[in-house]
Amino acid sequence: MSMAVEKSVVRGDNCLIESREVTYNFGDTPALRGANLSVRAGEILAIMGPSGSGKSTLLHCLAGILVPTQGEVWFDGRRIDSLADKERSMLRRDCFGFVFQFGQLVPELSAEENVALPLLLSGFRRNDALAPAREWFQRLELKGLERRRSGELSGGQAQRVALARGLVTHPSVLFADEPTGSLDSLSGELVMELMVATARDDGTTVVLVTHEPRVAAYADREVVVRDGLVSSLVSPAAP
Amino acid sequence: MSLRGGRESAVRLIATALAVAVGVAMLLATLASINALGVQNARGAWLATSPPAVRSNASPAGQGNSTTPSNIEPLWWLVNTEEFGDQLIVRVDVAATGTHSPIPPGIARVPAPGQYYVSPALEKLLGAVPADQLGARFKGTQIGVIGPRALPSPSDLIIVIGDRAGALAHVPGAGEITSFSTSSSSGGPDSLGSTGLQYVLALLALVLLFPVLVFIATATRLSAARREQRFAAIRLVGATLGQLTVISAMEAAVAASLGVVVGFILYLPLRPAMTHVSLTGQSFAKGDLSLGIIDVLVVALGVPIAAMITARVALRRVRISPLGVSRRATPSPPRFYRMIPLLAGIAELAYFVGVGHPKSAGGQTQVYFSGFLLVMIGLVVAGPWLTMAGSKLMARRTSNASMLVAGRRLSDNPRSAFRAISGLILALFVTSVSFGVITTLLVDHGALGSGSLASETVIDQFEGNNFSSVPSVASVPAAVVDRLRAVPGVKGVTLDYAAPASMKSSSPVPDINGLGGSITYGVLSCKQLKTTPALGHCRRGATLAAVGDDIAFMPVTKSVSVAASTTWPTAHLAHGLTDLRVQLVAVATNGSATTIARAQTILEAAFPFTSSTSQFGEITPQSSQLLTELKSTSEIVIVASLLIAGCSLAVAMAAGVIERKRPFSLLRLCGVPIAALRRIVALETALPLVVISLASAAIGLLASDLFLRSQLGLTLRMPGSGYFAIVLGGLIVSLAIIGSTLSLLEPITRLENARME
Repeated sequence: MSMAVEKSVVRGDNCLIESREVTYNFGDTPALRGANLSVRAGEILAIMGPSGSGKSTLLHCLAGILVPTQGEVWFDGRRIDSLADKERSMLRRDCFGFVFQFGQLVPELSAEENVALPLLLSGFRRNDALAPAREWFQRLELKGLERRRSGELSGGQAQRVALARGLVTHPSVLFADEPTGSLDSLSGELVMELMVATARDDGTTVVLVTHEPRVAAYADREVVVRDGLVSSLVSPAAP
Repeated sequence: MSLRGGRESAVRLIATALAVAVGVAMLLATLASINALGVQNARGAWLATSPPAVRSNASPAGQGNSTTPSNIEPLWWLVNTEEFGDQLIVRVDVAATGTHSPIPPGIARVPAPGQYYVSPALEKLLGAVPADQLGARFKGTQIGVIGPRALPSPSDLIIVIGDRAGALAHVPGAGEITSFSTSSSSGGPDSLGSTGLQYVLALLALVLLFPVLVFIATATRLSAARREQRFAAIRLVGATLGQLTVISAMEAAVAASLGVVVGFILYLPLRPAMTHVSLTGQSFAKGDLSLGIIDVLVVALGVPIAAMITARVALRRVRISPLGVSRRATPSPPRFYRMIPLLAGIAELAYFVGVGHPKSAGGQTQVYFSGFLLVMIGLVVAGPWLTMAGSKLMARRTSNASMLVAGRRLSDNPRSAFRAISGLILALFVTSVSFGVITTLLVDHGALGSGSLASETVIDQFEGNNFSSVPSVASVPAAVVDRLRAVPGVKGVTLDYAAPASMKSSSPVPDINGLGGSITYGVLSCKQLKTTPALGHCRRGATLAAVGDDIAFMPVTKSVSVAASTTWPTAHLAHGLTDLRVQLVAVATNGSATTIARAQTILEAAFPFTSSTSQFGEITPQSSQLLTELKSTSEIVIVASLLIAGCSLAVAMAAGVIERKRPFSLLRLCGVPIAALRRIVALETALPLVVISLASAAIGLLASDLFLRSQLGLTLRMPGSGYFAIVLGGLIVSLAIIGSTLSLLEPITRLENARME
């Protein structure tokens, strides 16, 4: 896959989420130094970069988890970096979904209860939360694992349950931070295929952090974070 | 490694050490209180002296006062108790038979006739209360104050009165002694009350130890979860499991030792405050709260050793491989058979309600001891099953995310959840039983029923109560009766005469206590009885009434509440009441404390050597006071055990949060509000606390009801609002302690922490 490096950032009318000159410091150490990035609605974007480059920090700023030291973050025409912590929490709960590398499932709950958890937290009744949660087991090839605890699932199965949990509320954006980082290549591929397929079916925007080109290849577009700055890698297949 | 493991290790070490320190301070305070009870009892042992002194428990007389020659001249000795309001006064009448007669401890010499020594508290009381309400009971002059080494508590009311040997020699119960008892359990009449109840007080204090020990054990487990994960990394670089065990034990020992040192330091400022919080309701003297060298050594060495053992056991439950930590197996859920001992205990107590209690005292002891023991064992054994059943039900039904997670966690490992409160369940059960029984007895006997006819009636009992030492009187002087009637507020005086064998009554005497046939006890003038309605009524037109023995002291009966509505059969006497011995004087009052005190003072002054005057139906004043002490102890045990359980749960909660740092942080990162996470951990800890507390209190009250019905024919009187206020107040404070540690959740699950894992 040949790629050309561009310093500019793709920006368009259909922009759903955007960072503008975002700076973030961990103490005296700068992690981001004026990062600009915009993501279109329905787009699957991969953020790549070496360890410590600031790619996860950028994802956390875009998701409203971290508040940038400087700069702005916009989502759906609304500036979110200036929101109060509670409002950002609500935004994450209602509009965003998340998948992390590992350890995100609540160990006491069964797989289906883990998937239903965001709905229960939003005030759904038990059966109203479990019914849509069970549908995701079918879609993500997890049928029969509904009652298993996280300790009784393989790594790939646990990641698919986490993916189901991230998508069960039909979020506008799914943020995935190294979602295949702890999986073997076969399991990783399955997770990515299902993630991309369901995102496309539902029109969900995906922001994916990975350092694996093979995983990034599932994305519509890839950007690289290096030394706290964002560069675009435009593949020939990119729209 | 504990100290050089970076900031997190240091925080973990300090947190564990602090939790252990709080537990150690509480343990030391409990041990010191138990010791103080022993010291108090030992100081009051001389009051338990009875003639003849039991040599095996006796020491040379006049310890510390003078050298006692071998040819001891005995001391005439009589101990009685008197009541003033709700306070008990111990009256010691003494008469020396020579210059070498033994001198009671705490005084310089044996008071001569007409002289007396008083305790400082009684001296203060005598100064504050008009003589006709108290001082007139004691004829003579005060020549000194009883020293502190003879006072069980600084608040004790004691008087040592000098008499003539010739006079005391004729008083039943008085006798010659040559030495004083040094043990309160030296046998003979217990001057301060039932020794058995003193043991119960000590037992209640011991009950406090369980929650404290559970708390310390929980504290030492505080950092286990994180420690295990770290150990996986150490395994990766080649450490053996044996080496990990040593490291784990050493870490636990370091934290526990640090905790022990800080705990001893914390205990020091706690000590002065504890003199005001006596287990028996009577304040401790300075210095009573002491720790023996054994106590110090057991705590100083025992806690670190126990921490090492706990760490070892905790490590056995996990498999630490170089690639990570895994639980050896999901603990098997508790089975229903755990309920069997509890149900068997309740069934045993209920069975005797149906068939009646065994007739022999030994049989009763056996039945009730085994019944209560079964229930107590049953509560501890059934606790995990109850926790699991309740939490499963909650998790299955709830639509609330917090309740779902909390319920699942509790049902996953109910033993662990129950462990932190297992001490509480016993403490609450025991104290609820004692509260239930005491309240019922006190209410039934009028001690709490202010305003009742019984509580307004003062009686002086001369005989008929099976206390062989109590003298009877040939007659009550008319002047005494007149003085009683002249007291403002006195409504009437009734004399109860011993019924002669030749007396006939119109019909059998009613059995008013329901415990079996009543024998004829006495005969009353109907004219007088009309003025003291608490004792019952005569038949219309009768001049004399035959009354049953139930009307006299029965240690535990319901006669008091029934007596007032009893119509006694008519008595027929050939020669009237003249020449009959008086066995009881009853004085009906308007219920005011002053009137009652005045009436009591007249009776005590007139009949100083008879048993104490009291309010009608009151269990003996001594027992009444001990029951009150028992209640006071129960209150302290309830509050302390709830607080300690709160601390245990707070520590367990902290461990639970640390264990789930990553999933909780990631949930928060996903937008789950911190309040929802707080609700989860609060429910996990508060739910078992509240449910188990209420269950053990309810089972305690049920057990006491079954006991009261079968043994005493009484129905449980629900403890007053004070009991519920204490239980609820204790629960609220415990929940507040748990709530205060919820603030840990915020920093532990801080968003930036999640990605650093």
